[in-house]
Amino acid sequence: MSAISSGFFNRKLYKVLAIGLIIIFFIIPIIRLIIMSFLSDEGINFDYYHAILTDGRTWQVLQNTLIVVVGSTIISLILGTAFAWMVAYTDIRMKGIVQLFIFLPFIIPSYITSLAWVQFFGPAGLLTKMLDQLPSWNLYSMSGIIFVMGISHFPLVYLFTVNVFRKIPREMELAARISGASRWTAFSKIVFPMALPGVVGGSFIAFLGGLDNFGIPAFLGTPANISVLSTYIYQKVIGFGPSAFNEAAVLSVILGVIAIIGISLQWILLRKSKPIETTKLDYSPRYHLGKKKLIAEILIWLFFAMTSIFPFISMVMTSFLNAYGLDFVPENFSLKNYAYILSRNSTVESIFTSLKLAGVTTVIGIIVGTIFSYYRVRKPNVTMRLQEYAITIPYALPGMVLALAMIFAWMEPIPGWNPGIYGSTAILYIAYVTRFLILQVRSGITAFQQVDKEVEEAARINGTNGFGKWKRIMIPLIAPGVLSGAMLVFLSALTELTVSSLLYSSNAETIGVAILSFQQSGYTLYSTAFSSLIVGLIIVGYFLLFASGALRKRKVENGK
Amino acid sequence: MTTSIIHINKKFGSFQALKDVNLTVKDGEFLAILGPSGCGKTTLLRLLAGFESPTDGTIQIDNKKAATAKKVIPPERRNVSMVFQSFALWPHLNVREHVQFAMKYHRFVGPAFKEKKKAEERIDEVLKIVGLEQFGSRMPGELSGGQKQRVSLARAIAPEPQLLLMDEPLSNLDAELRIEMRHEIQKLHRLTKASILYVTHDQGEALAMADRIVVMNAGKIEQIGTPEQIYNQPKTPFVAKFVGKANLFEGTWDGSTFMHKNVSVTWEDCGISENLKEQNLYALRPEQIRLSTSDESQIRGTVVTKQFQGKEYQYVVDVSGQEIVVDLPLHEQFEIGEGVGIVPRM
Repeated sequence: MSAISSGFFNRKLYKVLAIGLIIIFFIIPIIRLIIMSFLSDEGINFDYYHAILTDGRTWQVLQNTLIVVVGSTIISLILGTAFAWMVAYTDIRMKGIVQLFIFLPFIIPSYITSLAWVQFFGPAGLLTKMLDQLPSWNLYSMSGIIFVMGISHFPLVYLFTVNVFRKIPREMELAARISGASRWTAFSKIVFPMALPGVVGGSFIAFLGGLDNFGIPAFLGTPANISVLSTYIYQKVIGFGPSAFNEAAVLSVILGVIAIIGISLQWILLRKSKPIETTKLDYSPRYHLGKKKLIAEILIWLFFAMTSIFPFISMVMTSFLNAYGLDFVPENFSLKNYAYILSRNSTVESIFTSLKLAGVTTVIGIIVGTIFSYYRVRKPNVTMRLQEYAITIPYALPGMVLALAMIFAWMEPIPGWNPGIYGSTAILYIAYVTRFLILQVRSGITAFQQVDKEVEEAARINGTNGFGKWKRIMIPLIAPGVLSGAMLVFLSALTELTVSSLLYSSNAETIGVAILSFQQSGYTLYSTAFSSLIVGLIIVGYFLLFASGALRKRKVENGK
Repeated sequence: MTTSIIHINKKFGSFQALKDVNLTVKDGEFLAILGPSGCGKTTLLRLLAGFESPTDGTIQIDNKKAATAKKVIPPERRNVSMVFQSFALWPHLNVREHVQFAMKYHRFVGPAFKEKKKAEERIDEVLKIVGLEQFGSRMPGELSGGQKQRVSLARAIAPEPQLLLMDEPLSNLDAELRIEMRHEIQKLHRLTKASILYVTHDQGEALAMADRIVVMNAGKIEQIGTPEQIYNQPKTPFVAKFVGKANLFEGTWDGSTFMHKNVSVTWEDCGISENLKEQNLYALRPEQIRLSTSDESQIRGTVVTKQFQGKEYQYVVDVSGQEIVVDLPLHEQFEIGEGVGIVPRM
């Protein structure tokens, strides 16, 4: 289209440049990781694979990983589908707030959730203190990891399923009922099979999330000496054995392969399923629960109370305790834990480090991600699709695998030349931009897809394809979508733990690493205080964002 | 200003959307391009706008080369404007800002309007022309379909472009509004004196408004002519069927006499084009046929369906497998199953 001959050469140059950068930042690290797993002193061979696969510990770790991931996925699947069904189809009240609570695990990182659960269910926790006769639940166990992970990932299943439910035309069910099916038969034979693509898609994402997760097994598994692949790789690397990197590389390849099998299965299943043709979302309730409504609502809020509200209250209360294990009574409370963490340079610096990392990642994401998604939407061709797949890799792969690949790629970008990227914050910037860029690209693609091609062409036919078109038409139209993507990138980067746990340098810890090191050194009070502080900051941030959004909206309405 | 399309070919991959199209839009002319969906009419329009580039051939706008296979002047640098099928309103700008945008950025806005005050006067004037002077501060979401179309028209005519492209502008409106907007667009054409290229699949719109009609099918031009020529003297079977809904009969022509293929019945010429005669065809539109029960010397068939249309009845008559559509005035009634003869109305 509109190939002005003078711009033709430039355009080609940009294209080659973009592909080159994508290969360097997104493809080469993975290749170097794979090479590293085969590379021993005697050259390329299977020595490390042999050593790892004949080690009984590896099989124990693999077994743990599968039990944790499959177990938590089943919990996510059941919870996610149940909540999606209730929010989409029934007439329960306060759906907005219910949804807010469902999405809470998206906002609060899973290691903080783990910490909060321990403060509620654990031996010194609020629940045990309130109800003495109740046996406390040892969360430092497989069951603890599985439950916290299941609760943390069920929003993914919910997110994938709820709009699929809404899209299923209600006539489908009515047609089944008029043909003689009972409510249950209509649901199990018609509605649920139609919603299956969403349920399956969400479950696979939860599965991948389980493989990727490092925070929960690090907080809950490490004290009980339970390892899963992600924590095992971490221990290998920080254990600094003579072949630590190579063995970690082998384990990463294994973890990566499991993830790729998961992604491929999901892709095949979703490809086979026939999409529902209607695009209209039907928000009005289809089931009036009547008297059962109150019971359903009580159950829902009891669930939120037990899984989020009370654990977080316990965490905040613990953070005020003078000493761990004391009773929750006013004379035991003080601000001394907060005074301590705020007086320590390294904790305050970790907040600034994370803010800077998240800020820079977000800004680069907005610029690069938006430009890329524009071309991806307007010129959909094979090379653009391949580039998008490449950008997806660092996010689809488990964070621990990416972190290791980053070390191999940037320690010596050209073999024999070490510019000191690994060991400084530079490697974290590179890792975060590559990991989170796809989030910005996806939201950019959605934003641009919503701008009809003719809307853009209408600007061009009126004489502007440059500044005027972008300033007056395109940017105002894509801004909401792009900014919500940016918000997601910022928050993900701010509380990121997995990648930074391997890549942080001693003079620049991230928030996640700081909390993890408090916890691993046994300073529960400091870690709860720091976590409460971060949750508080996130809530204040969200509140400010909503307030400014509401204010802007009011301004627009007044302007009319 | 004339616009010429010279030997234009357009391929999308292996699909040939346009095959050697030649066409000239005269200064101030209202030219309609008529054809079924997928015939290439929208592609042709988008080539003129500059949103597509030709695979082969030349487009000349105002005696300047606008597009060849090698070099394409982009839409923003052409003295054209366009009304889109989807209206393509900008959801975040109000009615007045739509017209303002065009006045500010269109590169061929006359020097008379460069001054801000003059431009504002022009915006007032245009909003008045399309009947939206009261709606300047409305947002697109607060407008009805017809009002949206008027905004789209106002935005297109404000910079006084010399060529106005319209891509099925009425297809998103309901039937009654469509008839009303036909008059509005005709009025606009008289007022602006711009050349209009109007793409449509609705032969009623093309016949009603256009000075000339171009009928397209499968990427090729079938016929160019005035609405009367296209309707009364179709040159190809496609035009006869698509525009006039005509029934085609096969046979042989001998001078002005037509002999049917399988029955020994002859019809006299009632104004069939030479091209159809060369193809040994006789075309009759539904209203050009009368049915008779008495006359045995005609081709005969059986009434299959009968539908009341208000002003007339529409019959489908089965003539040895071929379905013939006939419109008859209310007083000439036949019943389903009745044997009838087909007679041209002379």
